[in-house]
Amino acid sequence: MFKDLDPILHSQLRLSIVSILMSVEEASFNFIKETTKATSGNISIQIKKLQNAGYIQVKKSFKNNYPNTTLSMTEKGIEAFETYVNDLKKYIHPGQ
Amino acid sequence: MLTPEESILLITRTIEDTKNRFRENGHIILLWGFLMFVVTLSQYILLRMELYRIHWYPNFLYPLGAVYTFVYFLKEHKKHNLPRTIIGNIIGALGWLLGANFMILGFFFSQKLGEAIAPVFLIFLALFTFVSGIAIRFRPLIIGGIVLNLTGIATFYFDWIYHLLIMSIGSVIALIIPGILLNRESKKEDV
Repeated sequence: MFKDLDPILHSQLRLSIVSILMSVEEASFNFIKETTKATSGNISIQIKKLQNAGYIQVKKSFKNNYPNTTLSMTEKGIEAFETYVNDLKKYIHPGQ
Repeated sequence: MLTPEESILLITRTIEDTKNRFRENGHIILLWGFLMFVVTLSQYILLRMELYRIHWYPNFLYPLGAVYTFVYFLKEHKKHNLPRTIIGNIIGALGWLLGANFMILGFFFSQKLGEAIAPVFLIFLALFTFVSGIAIRFRPLIIGGIVLNLTGIATFYFDWIYHLLIMSIGSVIALIIPGILLNRESKKEDV
C-alpha cells in the first residue's frame, strides 16, 4: 500500500528509535529502552537492521565495568529520515 | 502496518517524549538563584554593619555550589541514562565558562573592576539567562534575562553601597522566579 515509503523506517519500533536519535546528539541503549518501553532483544534486532542500512552508528564501550552502547544518527540516516517525513507529507496531503 | 498518519503521530510523540525526559526541572536554576540571593544579601548586610574585613566571606559559598552542580549532573545523567544533546552541551559549556570567569573576576580582580563589578556580573548573567531561555523555549527565563540586562545597565546609576542589594533582587527576577515556574511546569508534565 505504501510502497514508496522507506521499508527500513516504516516500522513502529525502528521509527521510534530513529525519532529519538533525531532529537539528541547521541543516546545510550538504556535510554532507548526506557523511552520506547520495548524489550532489549527486540531493540537489538531493530538496531542491527538500522545499522546494516547505514542509518545509525553504534559505539560499544565500557562504563564502570559495565558494557555501554551508544547510538547516533549517520548523515545517510538523517537524509533517509527527512525523505521519509517528506514522503509521509505527500501521502497525507497529496495535492501539495 | 503503520499508516502515514500513525507514522507522523509516532514521530511527533516520540520526539516530544524524548525532549521532556531531559528537560531541566529548574532545580539547578533555583539552587543558584537562592545561593546568589543569600550571598549578595548577606554581603550587603555585612557592608551596612561596616564589617568590611569579612563582608566578602559569603563568596566562598559559590565554589560549594559549583561542586554540588557538578555532582548533581553526573548523578542525574547516570541515573536516567540521559543522552547528549547539542542544546544541553551549549548551555552547560556556557554556564561553566561563565561561572569560572565570575569566580576568577570576583576573587582576583574585584579591586581592578571596582564599582563596575556588579553591573558586569548582572549583564553577563542576563546573557546566560536569556540564551538558556531561548534554547529551552521557556518565556520566564527570556523575560528574566531581559529585565536583568536592563537592571545591570541601570546599576551604573546607583551608589555602590546598593549594588549588592540590586544583585539580590536580580537573582529573584532572573533565577528564583523562572526556576520555580520551570519546576512547577516539569511536575505538571510528570503527572
